[in-house]
Amino acid sequence: MELIKNITFQTSQFFTFVSKNQIFLMLLLLLSMIFFSLLAITFGSYGLSIIDFIFGRTSNIQNTVLTEIRLPRVILSGLAGASLGISGAALQGLFRNPLADPGLIGVSAGAALGATLMIVIGGDLFSQYSLGVFFIPLAAIAGSSLVILMLYFMTKGFGYEGVTYMLLVGIAINAIAGVGIGILTYISSDAELRSLTFWTMGSFGGVTWPLLLPVILIIVLAIFIMIPYSRQLDLLQLGEPEAYRLGVDVQKLKYTIILTCAASVGASVALSGMIGFVGLIVPHLTRLLGGVNHNYVLPGSALMGAALMIIADLIARIIIQPAELPIGLITSAIGSPFFLWLIFKIKKL
Amino acid sequence: MTISAKSISLELGGKKILNNISMEVLPGEILSIIGPNGAGKTSLLNVLSGNIKSHEGNVSYNNISLKDISIQERAYIRSVMSQFQSIAFDYSVVDILQMGWLDHSHKEIKEDLSAFQNQVIKECDLEGLISQRFNTLSGGEQRRVHFARTLLQLWQPANSYDQNYLLLDEPFSNLDLVHKVKMMESIKAKASSGTGILMILHDLNLAYAFSDKILLLKKGRVMEQGETKKMLSARLLARAYETFITVDENPINIRYY
Repeated sequence: MELIKNITFQTSQFFTFVSKNQIFLMLLLLLSMIFFSLLAITFGSYGLSIIDFIFGRTSNIQNTVLTEIRLPRVILSGLAGASLGISGAALQGLFRNPLADPGLIGVSAGAALGATLMIVIGGDLFSQYSLGVFFIPLAAIAGSSLVILMLYFMTKGFGYEGVTYMLLVGIAINAIAGVGIGILTYISSDAELRSLTFWTMGSFGGVTWPLLLPVILIIVLAIFIMIPYSRQLDLLQLGEPEAYRLGVDVQKLKYTIILTCAASVGASVALSGMIGFVGLIVPHLTRLLGGVNHNYVLPGSALMGAALMIIADLIARIIIQPAELPIGLITSAIGSPFFLWLIFKIKKL
Repeated sequence: MTISAKSISLELGGKKILNNISMEVLPGEILSIIGPNGAGKTSLLNVLSGNIKSHEGNVSYNNISLKDISIQERAYIRSVMSQFQSIAFDYSVVDILQMGWLDHSHKEIKEDLSAFQNQVIKECDLEGLISQRFNTLSGGEQRRVHFARTLLQLWQPANSYDQNYLLLDEPFSNLDLVHKVKMMESIKAKASSGTGILMILHDLNLAYAFSDKILLLKKGRVMEQGETKKMLSARLLARAYETFITVDENPINIRYY
């Protein structure tokens, strides 16, 4: 008996299920992301020119502003947008539910609580160990993983019927985490702990390279682990039993998506706080532009999330100079009406 | 070369669902499972497809124990059509169809697959639906798309043949007369090309008209199984369904052309 010898099953075949149109859209998103990054590096309360920098015509102060303040900030905002966008898309696929969003269902809140706990309790640890910079993101990842696992068990394996239930659990988790973060910021005298506004509204300010590097590593890794599972996420839309019958190892798929989402959201929250609604809006915009298959939606959401977040942060920085708007205020201002519209639309279906 | 189940028993939540069932799905044969509600028909299908793992007894595909076949390889050996859940996102009909494409690595394969897909689309009468949104289709239309997808899943390259199987749970529900007959013809054609077929059916007339063999299930036990002709006993059926049943061996057939 010869069992399928010459056929290899490849789930990661990318281009078979991406149309030319979608590839074009992704390139367009990539270009706008690069363009917005250049804008964001150039503009701000301190005038800079990229061209001058490249030709070495900038002063030392200008160089420092560019490499130590602007660049890490733009990278962080791009990464945070990419991680929230792709995680929102992957979670919506995994839950088979267009309302899933790392913020709404409490994943970001879990991460923020994990990070604040680590800062308050383990404040001295960072300097003592060489890998200390990883501690805050890891604590945040632990927090977000815990929340996703809890959701998994409370919705009986992300059943489709658990839509309302999942959002209610999210409300509760958000409230619990809010209390936790509030108490921790109140009792803490530690200078390391940032303000309550930072954790609840988010900010990309004040980030430094040593803190940023592990986060870059985690998020990029998570994104590249996630994307090859696109095809399996498509098959999962038929239901778990069906996906299994089409050759998908559903358990492995679930754990991979849970872990990568928790890791990328956790890492981004650890440095930028909770930024609401990005994970909800970005995948929907991406789908509206070019289609629903995950081979396009996952990378597309990462690119669009990054592009939008970079431009949103630029607006937050320059709109009320010299002060700065919390980034979460902008995303929530756009996101919450969108959320209402989405509920309205789903109710009609 | 069969799908064979040996002394399958299954307990779910303290309730005995299946009790010591042994059966076989043979190449080129249509086997129908019939029986009253709650007999365990769908559970048996799920055990055979590998979806349920908590059973006792052994299932094998082509003489290899199911446990030793990877989840991916299983998808090449059997495809399953069952009751479906709604789909959350706006996939097009073609997207759903192509979820049955297991392999698409080489260019030649992709061309052959596309050709086969066009053939299946014609066979299942989907030409007019192909570019529509899947969620806008009616229940019967969605069913036909899923059926076409399970046929695509069984595609094999021209130069190789491995014995495969088609498992169907109530394939004809929601279908109108014409499409019922069309689907039945597809299933028969599939059987005569060598694929082993297992169907769960509620309509006894259909089961007797189209099956080579019938397995009668009641309360998780096999009451009787065998050639369709031998299973045509009014007493047997009456005992299974606990009601009066008459079998007219020379019925006035309604034929559809």
